[in-house]
Amino acid sequence: MTGGLQRLASTVVLVGFSFLLTALILWISGYGVGDVFSGTIQGAITATGAATSTVRWAIPLLLIGLGVVIGFRAGFFNIGGQGQFYMGACAALVVALGWREGPATLVILCGTAAAIIAGLSWSLLPGYLRVRFGTDEVLTTLMMNFIGALVLQYLTAGPMRNPSGTGQTAASERIPEAFRITDSSGVSATVLLLVGAVAVLVWLLLERTRFGLTMTLVGRNPTMARWQGIDVRRVGLVTFGLSGALAGLAGAVELHGPGARLVTGFSPEVGFTAVVVALVGLLSVWGTVVAAIFFGGLQSAILFLPIVTDLPPPALVLLHGMVAFLVTVKLRAVRRRRTGSASEAVTS
Amino acid sequence: MTVPSGPAPAAVPAVRCRSLGVSFGAVRALHDVSLDLAPGRIHALVGQNGAGKTTLVKVLGGLQAPDSGEVHIAGRKLPSGDARAARAAGLAMVHQHFSLPPSFTVAEALELTAFRPGGRSVYRRAELRRRWRTAAAEIGGEAVLSTRIRDLPVETRQSLEIVRALATDARVVILDEPTALLTPTAIDTLFERLRRLRDDGVTVLVVLHKLREVAAAADTVSVLRDGELVLGPSEMSELSQGQLSDAIVGPASGADRAVGVEAAANGERQTLLELVRVSSRESAFEPGLRRIDLSVDTSEIVGIAGVEGNGQRSLVSVIAGLDAVVEGSMVLGGTEMTSAPSARRRLRGLRLVPFDRNSEGISRRAPVWLNQSALRLIGRHPRRFPLISLRQYKRQAAEAMDHWQVRYDSVTQPAESLSGGNVQRLILSREMAPGLEVLVAAQPTRGLDFAATNFVRRSLRGLRDAGAGVLLVSSDLDELFELSDRLLVMYGGSIVARFEAPYDRRAVGDAMTGALR
Amino acid sequence: MEQILATTFRSAAPLVLVATAGVFAFRAGIFHLGLEGLMITGAFTTVAVAETTGSVTLGILAAIGVCMALSALYWWVIGPLGANVIIAGLGLTSIGLGGTAFALGAIYDRRGSLFTDVVLPRPLSGITSGPGVIVSEHSILVWLTPLIVLAAWIVLRRSRFGLRLAAVGEYPFAARTAGVSPSIMRLQALLIAGALCALGGAELSVGALHNFTENMTNGRGFIAFVAVIFGAWHPIGAALAGLFFGLADAIGIQSQINITERVPREFVLMIPFVLTVVAVWLGGLWRRRSLEAEAGYAELKEPDF
Repeated sequence: MTGGLQRLASTVVLVGFSFLLTALILWISGYGVGDVFSGTIQGAITATGAATSTVRWAIPLLLIGLGVVIGFRAGFFNIGGQGQFYMGACAALVVALGWREGPATLVILCGTAAAIIAGLSWSLLPGYLRVRFGTDEVLTTLMMNFIGALVLQYLTAGPMRNPSGTGQTAASERIPEAFRITDSSGVSATVLLLVGAVAVLVWLLLERTRFGLTMTLVGRNPTMARWQGIDVRRVGLVTFGLSGALAGLAGAVELHGPGARLVTGFSPEVGFTAVVVALVGLLSVWGTVVAAIFFGGLQSAILFLPIVTDLPPPALVLLHGMVAFLVTVKLRAVRRRRTGSASEAVTS
Repeated sequence: MTVPSGPAPAAVPAVRCRSLGVSFGAVRALHDVSLDLAPGRIHALVGQNGAGKTTLVKVLGGLQAPDSGEVHIAGRKLPSGDARAARAAGLAMVHQHFSLPPSFTVAEALELTAFRPGGRSVYRRAELRRRWRTAAAEIGGEAVLSTRIRDLPVETRQSLEIVRALATDARVVILDEPTALLTPTAIDTLFERLRRLRDDGVTVLVVLHKLREVAAAADTVSVLRDGELVLGPSEMSELSQGQLSDAIVGPASGADRAVGVEAAANGERQTLLELVRVSSRESAFEPGLRRIDLSVDTSEIVGIAGVEGNGQRSLVSVIAGLDAVVEGSMVLGGTEMTSAPSARRRLRGLRLVPFDRNSEGISRRAPVWLNQSALRLIGRHPRRFPLISLRQYKRQAAEAMDHWQVRYDSVTQPAESLSGGNVQRLILSREMAPGLEVLVAAQPTRGLDFAATNFVRRSLRGLRDAGAGVLLVSSDLDELFELSDRLLVMYGGSIVARFEAPYDRRAVGDAMTGALR
Repeated sequence: MEQILATTFRSAAPLVLVATAGVFAFRAGIFHLGLEGLMITGAFTTVAVAETTGSVTLGILAAIGVCMALSALYWWVIGPLGANVIIAGLGLTSIGLGGTAFALGAIYDRRGSLFTDVVLPRPLSGITSGPGVIVSEHSILVWLTPLIVLAAWIVLRRSRFGLRLAAVGEYPFAARTAGVSPSIMRLQALLIAGALCALGGAELSVGALHNFTENMTNGRGFIAFVAVIFGAWHPIGAALAGLFFGLADAIGIQSQINITERVPREFVLMIPFVLTVVAVWLGGLWRRRSLEAEAGYAELKEPDF
């Protein structure tokens, strides 16, 4: 228990330190230090529509972040959330635009199912390569991100392109209004209920089922798990599948919710941010919920900043990067280290 | 020659350490070790697994900074934990593990580790080969220089490690368990080489496992036990074999309570585990099985003897279901299980104490309760409610661990915080849960202290008396003689001899070294 | 055809430079996902300093300095402070992207881009006829790139430094046994990588173009990382991979004009990534097989006190 408290304290300290560091940079650049804080708070909470916008951005971060938590639990580093998210959104788009006359509920359900399957298969390929051949999943999921982004670009610039669209970046046609589950704010009771249910289910899976315990054992020591008769490959595949399914679901929510259409390269950071969210959330479900809201607020503040202060929005991208840069620092490592870096610990 | 163990020795000791202490978390690896090694002699360092030998060697070589104490080489104090300074002072190490990167060619590896190399820092390959031509003469000539380390045979790699160490004009050479991977002939060659070194005035410290090797190679011997120096350095000539083994093993501690075991098997004698002409694929470390015939009946302990690396690991992996059977069949508890997944075998009553308890037996970073509950995670229970109660899991784990006298503070502490003996008790508490029919115990007492060893042995006997079958794989002949009802000897992946008690040590030894073939 | 070649070299040069940076990091055992951030920092610093001082040399030197300083920070965080290499690398990328955009606003009070007339010389700009277009538009850095790759090859494959670095990345225990500090070697590799990223950024901003634009690297740092993997973390391999990505880019741009209907551009652009997945897969297979042959190494799982 004290280990958990220590990690919590260390995360809070590191996030706080990132804020201070960013504030220092802004102060040197001639902005008021208070602006960072007041700007963030206004942009994330108090300004009109800001709180809703925070939740709107927290939703994809939470869904993808939970997938990352699941992956980490079994020892896999899935940084392919972005690609899985795109593939989910693309699958939902194909269903929605391909079946415009369908009954709304059915189309939404089919679109969501298609999105889940698309996200799942996009992570099963790296997952299969990992459990069958030991192929490094960080590299393969990264590649799958690029491929996913190109699929999205192909759809939005090719077959699904909105011919009357203007502007620099290609975008798809809009899906019929009936197929949407939120207005353009991206928040509605349906969505909140859905996301809440997903979070509870993931928590139950990880903390209150035998499969969750099995994942923990596999993640901590796959050799021992094998000796215990656990089918490590199956656990790995299911884990990768669930992880991608959640990112795919996030894509469907994005399309049927705030998006209504897909734009080439939309939300380009959400996949990586979700990894940071999961880590800031200490790889626990409720921690990830809190972290997702925090980073959702940051994202919202980036969009609202020009309205509420004179602080340039990139300042918050900087802050965001600072948090990612520092959040995994091991404060205990500041003490004298004995065994060198983790990769060497095996030889000590 | 007098032994410089007291104050003010005649000559400056080649290596002197004072009050060295090292701890890894709760584990005390070295405690107050002070040692003087006289120059120009071969010193042996012995002790059980976990006694602190490797840690001491690493401290001397500067690869591990001690928590306290200091090291002097030829009278000069070394900065703590500085491998470069140790090398500069003329100290060379040959590690237990190979220390050369596998993808390097021999010439590149020699260049990497050369301490005072000549020439420019940019080289051409031909130039490298020329530079290391003499060094290569000892390990098979110039042609070997372009070979990658990973393609070399084990003995050549070992020789290369020594050549590498000596390429630096070392005055002190430390070898950490150099014999572990060598054949008897290669060991003789190695000892011959060490004697030549000594005659050239080099001080040698060699970590050894077997008393026979100590007697063959060393001038003096020092013994570590539980991180403390309990003997030496003492002249080999003044020491009896008995004194030495007592020092290594330590005094017998008080007996502790035997643990009752429930085994599923009952009454009449039947065959619990049977392998018929089983072959398996070889791995990088071991030959595969070659047409093994083996059976374990109720109420018996079957011992497997053999020099390590003769297929014991393959045997246990095949029985566990981790390695595939290429040919032959396996029956467990009356059911054909030749290609059954390991989960099914475990559910059918197969239990395992794996070779390496820290990497295969437990998950070091997982809490002890989860380690204890692992057996409950396999198998499907479609009708049971999917959600579980962690409190119940933890309670049952605690009960089992209390029964097996595992000493722990809290069920949520990570398993790595347990001592070796308690880790083994934890494993036993899990594996000997009800339902057990056959236990495969691989090196179950390796590295354990006296009390824990006794505990494990008594548990195995208790298991047999309760009707279970036990397959005991061990490299400790005394243990095998003491426990086994029958003894099989493995050599090169085959079972080459079968013995019944009383055992003839000589005959078993001959079988182990392949003299029978 | 000439146009395709010209575009290939122009797109490839910054990629090759940054990929070489990635090779240095990879050889030291670091998955460097901060390349993108360093590259854009290099681009911005070059333009800003060149525009202020009027000297493109000063600009590039300043960029090298800034990128090396950031690399040292990165080393400090992932080494002594034990942060996760990948997360901190992604953070470094965000710091670079956000920091340059912020600085653009804070210093020049503008958003979008910053133009400059102080650019790198283009030695062969006189030749404009026929096949000359292949060479005429390239800055001096494009011409220097092959030399830099060659130098990287010598340093990594034919020098004692390279041996030490490879030992650190492959088997740190070997390095420490040889008296080499893995930590210091990683710092040196990251510093070199930082300098190379600065050059890559400079080529992008004042070599091929006349400006700095927010987010102008547009994922090139990541592509360069992919090139490192695709090139089997060999300096020449990574450079060829970078060239290949440049070619794919050039064909992609051309196919937009010529053969859009038959092969969509996106699918052409996908090829390198698909091939990289295959390469990582096969490379992993090969490496695993060789690892299995390494008896005596695999016994390193747990410490023996």
